[in-house]
Amino acid sequence: MSRDGVDRRDFLKTAGGAAAAVSIAGCGGNGGGNGNGNGDGGGGGNGNGNGDGGGDDGGQTLVYARGDHPENYDPQQTTSGEVAKVTNQMFDTLIQFEAGSGGALEEGLATDWSLEGQTVTLTLKEGITFHNGEEFTAEDFRATYRRFTDEEYEFYLGNDNRSGYGPFTLGDWVESVDAGDDYEMELSLTQKYAPMLRNLAMFAAAVLSKAQIESLDNQIDLGTDPVGTGPFEFGSLNNSDQRVRLTAYDDFWGPGPNVDEVVFKTIQENSTRVQDVINGASHITDNLDATGFQEAQDADTAELLRKNGINQGYMAMNMARREEFRDRNVRLAVSYAVNTEAIVNDIYQGFAVQSDQPTPPDVLGHNDDIEPYPTDKERARTLLAEAGYPDGFEFELATFSNPRGYNPSPIQTANQVKSHLEAIGLTVNINQFESFTPYLDYTAQGKHDACFLGWYTDNADPDNFLYVLCDPKVDLEDVPDGQDWVGFDTEGYSTLNVSGWANTEFMEMVRSAQESYDTDGRRSTYEEANKLVHDEAPWVFIDYAETLRAVNEQVVSDSYAVSSVGGPYLNTVELQ
Amino acid sequence: MSTPTESDVPTESRGLLERIRASPFLSELLQSRIAVAGLVIIATMVAVAIYSRVQMLFLAAPEGGLTSLRALSEAVSAGPTPVTDSRLGAGVEDRAPPGWAGAAPLDQQLFGTDQQARDIYSRTLYGAWLALKWGTITVGLSTVAGVGLGIVAAYYGDVTDNVIMRTMDVLLAFPSLLLALALVAIFPEDLGLVRAVAALTLVYTPRFARVVRGAALKVLEDEYIDATVALGAADPRVLVRHILPNCLAPITVQSTLNFGLAIIDLAALSFLGFGAQAGTPSWGLMLSNGVEFGLLSGRWWMSFFPGLFLAVTVLGFNLLGDGMRDALDPRMREAID
Amino acid sequence: MVSKRFVAKRLLLLVPVLFGVATVVFAILHLAPGDPARLIAGQRASREQYRAVREALGLNQPLWRQYLDFLVNAVQFNFGRSYQPGGFGRPVREVIADTLPVTIELAVYGQLIGILIGIPLGILSAVKQDSLTDHATRIGALSGISVPIFWSGPLLILAVATPPLSLFPTSGRIGVGFTPGSDFTRHTGLVTVDTLLSGNLPAFVDAVQHLFLPSLVIGIYSTALISRMMRSSMLEVVRQDYVRTARAKGQGERITLMKHGFRNALIPVVTIIGIQFGTLLGGAVLTETVFGIGGIGTTLVAAISNQNYPVVQGTVLTFALLFTLVNLGVDVTYSYLDPRIDQ
Repeated sequence: MSRDGVDRRDFLKTAGGAAAAVSIAGCGGNGGGNGNGNGDGGGGGNGNGNGDGGGDDGGQTLVYARGDHPENYDPQQTTSGEVAKVTNQMFDTLIQFEAGSGGALEEGLATDWSLEGQTVTLTLKEGITFHNGEEFTAEDFRATYRRFTDEEYEFYLGNDNRSGYGPFTLGDWVESVDAGDDYEMELSLTQKYAPMLRNLAMFAAAVLSKAQIESLDNQIDLGTDPVGTGPFEFGSLNNSDQRVRLTAYDDFWGPGPNVDEVVFKTIQENSTRVQDVINGASHITDNLDATGFQEAQDADTAELLRKNGINQGYMAMNMARREEFRDRNVRLAVSYAVNTEAIVNDIYQGFAVQSDQPTPPDVLGHNDDIEPYPTDKERARTLLAEAGYPDGFEFELATFSNPRGYNPSPIQTANQVKSHLEAIGLTVNINQFESFTPYLDYTAQGKHDACFLGWYTDNADPDNFLYVLCDPKVDLEDVPDGQDWVGFDTEGYSTLNVSGWANTEFMEMVRSAQESYDTDGRRSTYEEANKLVHDEAPWVFIDYAETLRAVNEQVVSDSYAVSSVGGPYLNTVELQ
Repeated sequence: MSTPTESDVPTESRGLLERIRASPFLSELLQSRIAVAGLVIIATMVAVAIYSRVQMLFLAAPEGGLTSLRALSEAVSAGPTPVTDSRLGAGVEDRAPPGWAGAAPLDQQLFGTDQQARDIYSRTLYGAWLALKWGTITVGLSTVAGVGLGIVAAYYGDVTDNVIMRTMDVLLAFPSLLLALALVAIFPEDLGLVRAVAALTLVYTPRFARVVRGAALKVLEDEYIDATVALGAADPRVLVRHILPNCLAPITVQSTLNFGLAIIDLAALSFLGFGAQAGTPSWGLMLSNGVEFGLLSGRWWMSFFPGLFLAVTVLGFNLLGDGMRDALDPRMREAID
Repeated sequence: MVSKRFVAKRLLLLVPVLFGVATVVFAILHLAPGDPARLIAGQRASREQYRAVREALGLNQPLWRQYLDFLVNAVQFNFGRSYQPGGFGRPVREVIADTLPVTIELAVYGQLIGILIGIPLGILSAVKQDSLTDHATRIGALSGISVPIFWSGPLLILAVATPPLSLFPTSGRIGVGFTPGSDFTRHTGLVTVDTLLSGNLPAFVDAVQHLFLPSLVIGIYSTALISRMMRSSMLEVVRQDYVRTARAKGQGERITLMKHGFRNALIPVVTIIGIQFGTLLGGAVLTETVFGIGGIGTTLVAAISNQNYPVVQGTVLTFALLFTLVNLGVDVTYSYLDPRIDQ
C-alpha cells in the first residue's frame, strides 16, 4: 500500500478527536469563516460558526473554480472534462495516471497487472471500502463494465444514456470480465489491443459500487448520488448556486485527503475566474486564456503552474469535399504558407509550442527528427502552380469562437491564417461558429472545406492520436486504389477524422501497432507513421499547448501537481 | 389636425419655421425644455458617430488615398481595422488606465486600453455609429412592419384584425428581452448584430401594430373616411392618403421611445453574447469585456466609458420621447403606454 | 367587486395565448440550427451511438409527431432531461424548480425597493409640481430608466465591492461556506427566507450581503419607472373633476390630493408594476449575469448558447406563463381598485 506514513489527516483526526468526525456533516458552518472570502475578504466579517466542533484546524475548504456547472456526475454518462474533474475526486480506477506525470501509470485499485495476448490479468487491493461501506471486490468492476456496455445486463445504462466512452474505452475492446476470485480478475479482449491498460486509467473506467448499481431503479440517478472509493465523498449538488461540495473520505486508501472539503464553484468567464484565484476567493482554476495567463503570472498572491500538455491543435483540410486538397502539393503549399511560429508566439503568447506531427512530445512514438514546416511563401507559390492553381482558389475555413486549451483565440488565429494564405493567392472565407457543439456537428458531417480542431488525450497513448484522429476506420478494401481519401459517407467512417484522409499505408501501420505489445516496435512504427502524416500534410499542424493552472498562495506549494492527463489530484493538496 | 389634400399644395411653399409654428405638435415640442435637451444629446451623438465613421474610413484607406466609393467599401470590409481588431502597438500595455490617470501621455488613450490593448476612446466613439445605425434599422423595420399590420388590421377588421392582433398578443405574452433571446437562437451566429436586429424587430413589431391600430381606429371613426369610401376610393388609396398621415404623430412618439429601448436591448444582447461578434466595438460587447477582464481587478475604465455613452444616448431618446408625448394630442396619447 | 366570472373568463382567454406561446417556442427551437444529438453524444461517439441518441430524443419522428408530443408534455410541464455536453443532465422541471426561486427572490426585492421609494417619490414630485424637487426627480427617473443594468451593476461593484472598500461580495447569492441542505433547510428556495426559517443567522446575514447589490440595481430601475408613473398618474387625477369639486369645498390641497388622488392614481401604477414585471425579469437575466447568480435567467442564457433545448423550452414557457399570470393578476387588482371596470 502506498500510504505515506502518518498522514496529516490521520494526525488531525487523532488530535481533533471525536469532534472532527462529527464535523463532516456540520463543516459547512466552520467553512463559513473561510468561504466568506467569496468576493474578497472584506465581506461578512469572520467568526461565523467557528464554534461547532471543527477542531483547531477549523474545517479547511478547498475551492476549485471552473467554467461550467454540469448537473450529472456519473462517469459513465458523460464525455465532459468538467464532469471528470469532479468524479476523479470520488472514484478510483484500477490503474491510474501518476499525479503530476505526463501519463505514467501507477497502482490504482489494482496492485498488479499484465497484458498478454487477448487477456488482461489484474490483482486487486484488499480492504478497500466504498463510501457506502461496501467492500471493493472484482465483482464491482464487473458490474461497472456491464452497466456501461452490456445490453443484456439488467442494470445496463442504456444506449442513449451511456456516453461515447462506453464502446470507446471498454466495450469495443473488452469481450468479458471474469471476476473469478474476489481479488483476481481477468478481462478477455476482442483483439490484441496495446492501449488497454491506459484505457483502464481513464476517468470513464472508474469503478462503481455493484451494491449501488443493483439498488438503483433508474440507473441515471447515479449521476446525482455518486458513490466511489476516492478521497472525497459526494456532499451536495447546489444547482441554484452552481456549486458541488465534496467532503473528505476518512477511509481513503491513498495519500490524503488533507482538507475537509472541496467546493467546485462556477465562474464562466475565464479571466474573472483567474482574478477570483488572485483575490483568494478560490484556490485553483484551469482553462486559462491569454489574459488569465498574464494575470496569474503577474500576480503576487497567485502562482501560474505550467506543464507540457498532451494535446494537439490543427487545421484540417477536407479532402472529401474539396478536390484541390486531394493534391498533396496544395496541402504542402498551405503548410508552407501558414506561419505557425508567428501564431504560436503572437497569439498563444508563449504557452504553446509549434507542432509538427499528430503525436505530442512525451508520448510514445513522437518523432524527434521532424521539424515544423518552415514558412516559405516562394515555395508555397511554386507548389500551388505545380498543382495547377497558379491563381489560387477560394475556400472556407470553419472555426469556433471561444477559446479552447489548444487554441486560445480561434478567431484571431483564423484571421492570421487568412492573411498568410492571401499572400500566396488563396482566398479564405472564415466561417465562425459561436458555440462548440454546432461546430462539432458541422465538422462531423464533413461540411467544412477546412476547419480548426484539436484534441486532448484520453489516455496518453499514441493510438489515441494517430488511430483516433487520422485513421478513417473504414475497411482497407473500401479505399479505392490509388486514392488517399474517402467520403464521410463510407461505411464505418469515423467522423473524428475531419480531413477525409485515408492513406492505406498509414492505416496498416497504426492498425498493426495497435495490436503489438512490443514497446520498441510500436515506437518505431509510430515514429514512421508520424513522419508519414507530416509529409502528406492532411493537416496544418499548429500547436501543442501547455496545461496551465492558476493557484492561490494559500495552497501549500508542491502539494498540488499539475497533470496533463487525469486529475486534478486534490487529495494531496494542503491549505495554509 | 390638418389633412393634406390637393388644395393644400400652397402650404408646401410656406417657410419651414412658419410650418413648425403652424403645427401644434412641433411648436409645443420645441417649447419643452426636456425635448430640446434630448434633441441636443441626440444631435451630439450623431455628430460623434459621423466623425468616428469618417475617421475610420480615413484610417482604413489604402495607401495613395481612396479612388472610388468601391475601393472605400472594400477597404472598410477588408477585416482588421485600427478600431476593431488591432492592438495600438507593440509597446502599449493592455488594460492600461487612461492617459490622464496613468503612465501614458495625457492626450493619449483618453479612456485607457482594453484587454487586447485597443484604444477604448476610439472604440467607444465608433460604438455611437454602430448603436445609431443598428438602432435606426431596428426601429425602422419594426415601425414599417407594425404600421402596415396595424393599419391593415384596423381597416379590414373582422377576421383579418383577429388573426393579426391575436398573433401580436402571443408575441406580447413574452417578456421582451427573453423573447429576443429565444429568437436570436434561430438565426445563424455569424450574422452578428444582424441577428440581434432581426430578433428585436420581431419583438417590437407588435407594439407598433397595437399603437397604430388604436390610432387608425380613431381616425376611421371620423366620418370623412366613410365619405371617401362612399365616393369609391380604392382601399390602398384610403389607407395611404388618409389613415397614415393622421397616425404619424403617435407613430413618431412610439418610434422615439422605442429607439432608446432598441439601443439598450441591442447592447444587452451583445452583452449576453448574442449580438455583436468578438472584435466589434459595440458598447454592449465592450461592457461585457469590461466585466470579464476588468471588474474584479478594479479596472473601472473598461466598463465606465462605453456604458456612459450608452446611457447618455438612451437618455437623449428618452428625454425627447417624453417631451414628445407631452406635446402629443391627448386623444392620441392614450394609445401609447 | 371582482366577480368570479370575470376571473374565469380571463383565465379561459389565456388558453389560446398559451397555446400560441407553446407553438412559438416549439417553432423557434426547430428552426434553430444544430443537432442536439451531437451535443449529447459528444465528440467521441460513434455513428451508432449518435443514432441511438437521436432515436431516444424522438428526433427521427416526423415533425407533426414531435409537435404533438411536445404539446402533450408541455401541458404536464414535462420537458424531458436537460442536455449537457457529452451527456444528459437532470429533468428540466427540477432545473426550473431550483433556479426560479432565485430569480423571483431578486425580482421581488428589486420591486420592493422600487415600490417603497418610487411611490413616495412620485407623489412628492406631483405635489410639488414644477418645483426643483420635481425637476430633479423627473430627470433622475429618466436617467434611471436610461442606465442599463449591465452598466450600473458593474459600476456599483467597482465602487463598493472591490478594494479598497470591499463592503460587499462581488458574486453569488451566498458564500461558499453555506450549503442549502446541510447548513439550512430548503423550504422555499429563497435563500434569505430559508436561512431565517432555519435559524441560521450568520447564513442569513451572508445571504443579505450577497443579495444587496443585485437587488439595489434592479431597485434603482424599478424606482425610476414607478416614480414616473406615480407622478403623471397623480397629476392626471388632479385634473379630474371630482378632485376639483373636493377642492372647491375648501379642503387643503395636500389633503385633497392624498385623499382622492392616491387611490385613483394607484390604478395605473398597479398596471405599470405588472407590465414592468416582464422588464424586471429581463433585468434579472442581466443582473444575474453581472453578479454571477445562478437564477433562471443565467440558466436560459447558458442553455441558449449550449443548445440545451429542453431547458430553453422550459424556461421560456415558464417566463411567458409567469408574465401572463402576473398580467392577469394586474387586471383583477385593477377591476378591484376601479369598480367601474366590470365585465
